[in-house]
Amino acid sequence: MEIIQVLSYGILLGGLYSLLSSGLALIFGVLDIVNVAQGAFLVSGAFLTWQIWDLTGIEPILLIPVVALLWFGLGIIIYRTLFVRVAPQGPSMTVLLSFGLALIIEGALNLIFGNKFKSVQTSYSLQSYKLGEINFPAPQVIASLAAAVVLVLLYLYLMLSWAGRALRATAQNRDGAALIGISHRKISSFAYGLGMATAGAGGVLISVSYPIYPATHYEWISKLLGIIVLGGMGSIPGAIIGSMLLGIVEAAGNTYAPQWTILFFYGVIILSLLFKPEGLLGARSRKDSV
Amino acid sequence: MKSLRFTKAKKIAVLFWAILILIPVLLPDSQYEQSLLIVCFLFAIMASGWNILSGLAGYVSLGHSVFLGVGMYTGAILGRETGVFTFYFAPIGMLTAMAFAFLLGSITLRTRSHAFVIITIAILLSVQLIVSNWVELTGGSNGIIFRSPSWARTAGNTPYYYMFLVVLVLTVALVRFIMNARLGAGFISIRDDESKAASIGINTTQYKVIAYCLSAAPYGLVGAIYSQYLGFINPTGSFSILISVYLVLAALVGGKGTLWGPVFGGFFIAFANEASTVFSGGISARVLIMGVVLVFTVMFVPQGLLVSVATMLRKRLAKDKTVEFINQAAIAERDAPLNLNNVKRAPSKAKADSSESILQVKGLYKSFGGVKAVNGVTMDIKRGSITGLIGPNGSGKTTLFNCITGTYGADSGIVIFNGTDITKMQPWTRAHMGMGRTFQITKLFKSMSVLDNLVAPLEKPSARNMLANKMQGEEVERAREILDFMGLSSFEKSNVSALSFGQQKLVEFAQILMLRPDIVMLDEPASGINPTLIERLSKAIKKLNDAGTTFLIVEHNIPLVLGLCDYIHVLSAGEIMVSGTPEEVRNNEAVIEAYLGPDTLLEGLDV
Repeated sequence: MEIIQVLSYGILLGGLYSLLSSGLALIFGVLDIVNVAQGAFLVSGAFLTWQIWDLTGIEPILLIPVVALLWFGLGIIIYRTLFVRVAPQGPSMTVLLSFGLALIIEGALNLIFGNKFKSVQTSYSLQSYKLGEINFPAPQVIASLAAAVVLVLLYLYLMLSWAGRALRATAQNRDGAALIGISHRKISSFAYGLGMATAGAGGVLISVSYPIYPATHYEWISKLLGIIVLGGMGSIPGAIIGSMLLGIVEAAGNTYAPQWTILFFYGVIILSLLFKPEGLLGARSRKDSV
Repeated sequence: MKSLRFTKAKKIAVLFWAILILIPVLLPDSQYEQSLLIVCFLFAIMASGWNILSGLAGYVSLGHSVFLGVGMYTGAILGRETGVFTFYFAPIGMLTAMAFAFLLGSITLRTRSHAFVIITIAILLSVQLIVSNWVELTGGSNGIIFRSPSWARTAGNTPYYYMFLVVLVLTVALVRFIMNARLGAGFISIRDDESKAASIGINTTQYKVIAYCLSAAPYGLVGAIYSQYLGFINPTGSFSILISVYLVLAALVGGKGTLWGPVFGGFFIAFANEASTVFSGGISARVLIMGVVLVFTVMFVPQGLLVSVATMLRKRLAKDKTVEFINQAAIAERDAPLNLNNVKRAPSKAKADSSESILQVKGLYKSFGGVKAVNGVTMDIKRGSITGLIGPNGSGKTTLFNCITGTYGADSGIVIFNGTDITKMQPWTRAHMGMGRTFQITKLFKSMSVLDNLVAPLEKPSARNMLANKMQGEEVERAREILDFMGLSSFEKSNVSALSFGQQKLVEFAQILMLRPDIVMLDEPASGINPTLIERLSKAIKKLNDAGTTFLIVEHNIPLVLGLCDYIHVLSAGEIMVSGTPEEVRNNEAVIEAYLGPDTLLEGLDV
């Protein structure tokens, strides 16, 4: 029975991670940027949710569209003002730029909200659903379901809209896409905005299921980056598979050796790098040598 | 002029070290100043170490302070067990850090993906967790406390001051040594273009792991000293990500990839940090400020303050200089001598024989998704021949090149070179065996001069070769002679990106001659270059071929191919359509059709 309990926890975790890591994979896939600031975007989204909830008492899940849309706009502004200038210098500079952004956000959150853990209390915070002998904590179930809904919407958008097609085209062949009239600048800022929107939506979700604290963005980002390394950097399906796998590993760790959980987590990633360095669904690209 | 500037720079360096050595002697009451300088030294040491991996080799690490923590804990644990001071274990701290880097690097640096930067953060957090939880060994989150030395009351910080200073001097000496050695040229070539580096004999995996180990060494060394200096260590302090932030910032502000930039940056950030403490900035404000400085530096002075200022000064000085006129036509006419022993290996046991194969490709397949780029190619290149490989765009010529040189692994089939099956070998091994190739779009190392580009190839992968000074010895003489032969000697000191595309193609050709190749594979050597240079090029090819070097040439300039080659393979849709002498190929109907279309009248065409 314990196995099933562990598996179901793991899948719930994996569902949430899927949304959080897909934005990171999207940004990397289209822009070749390792967006280290994603964790900070996520945590700041959670703080915004907490602030609104604290003032109004609104059901936090309802804030998903608001925060996501806001973060989408912010992402476009950040890309157009900062990244567009640094992008030509290559990934080793953009990663430093986003590291700087993460520090600014961490410092600002610390100054605004103080060095204290915050958490959103809802009517279902302490509840759990029971199915036979298996326990499902309500906040995790709700967060995971909402993540799945957002992810499906994102997927449909990428598959069915013109912008989604343009994004996928750019990810596959940037120059080719530019030749057929896809403005690289526009699509890049759009991709960054979209990636940041998933962090906004994710921020709302982690505010109901985790205690939040500015410096936790380091833990988030290293988890999420680990997931996309496992899944294969620029691949969203890879990110989802990686999320599920690592969600289950984490749930197992939490059950059997709680103090070492993170180590199991990274252990799986290191192992995967040993045997499949390009990640589960990653392909070695052709652009390396012409 | 140059030697003058050199001595000036040397004078400044000597003055800098002299002042640092004399401060405690001249100012015995300077305990506070010394403690501040110790922090400067620490930051400068870390930034310089980081610079080896991230500045020179271009692999950014965001969790590099993990090696400081490893050094601190190595010293602390050994000190606790033996009852002596931790700094005695500094060398062991260094070895531990290097061993750890070797282990991590061997796993994470095998590919050229961005996974590395990601793993660096995860490693820092993981090690912090291990140290916190492994209570029996590390004391857990309570940390370890040391008794302070008896001299601490009277001598204060001064002994530590000198210990840190010694490590700083050693670190700067290490970076200087690396930058002057061919090893350092190898690191920079990886930063500039990794797949190209592999093709000229640089074992990129090995180099990256070496860079990682060397960059960890100063951390381990200083870590064991630092822990005694602090008197108390714990996991959150020793493995704080904030230290990584500081050191990255220091290297970046000063100027990554330079010798003195990170040292300057280390002092700069240490003073800035002290200032923000004095002016009562809390830790949050400090994180915010460091973030702003980082973003500002990346946006506006990506090369670092030291480099930007130096560039500005140099520009001001260069204003008065006149530009030298170079008579290119005269250079192209001139016939420079070439000692063939400098571009060829010692003759093999079997004398060059036109019926012997140097390169055999058997049943080679390579597809990308649904595209069968190379679809079952079998060919045989004779030793001493000039073989042409022609075919329409997209017919798989470059992919075939990439499979032969090992840039891609083939899906199936084998490649035999000089009698050895090389199908599974790495590109650098193939280069060491005498295979040299150029690229369709030149891949030179853009941050290097022409001469630096020529001495970058590693003909033999011996440790002595890697550690030798890149600008001394016979390699440089060879490089100069080859440049002269190519008519490029007047550009020796120019940065390659200042050269025209055609000149760059010749530089790339010259570069692979440094490998003393048995076979030279040229990918469209004549495209985009002017007739004078084409003339130069074909002269060089003929001369080398007369001496026995084999050529395999992909080219669209049909008159050139027909004039130069002994034998030609025509590739179409990934398969060899026709093979034969120039005469046979020129008259083959299928070839004419593939190139010119079926209905073209050919009577008047003189090809």
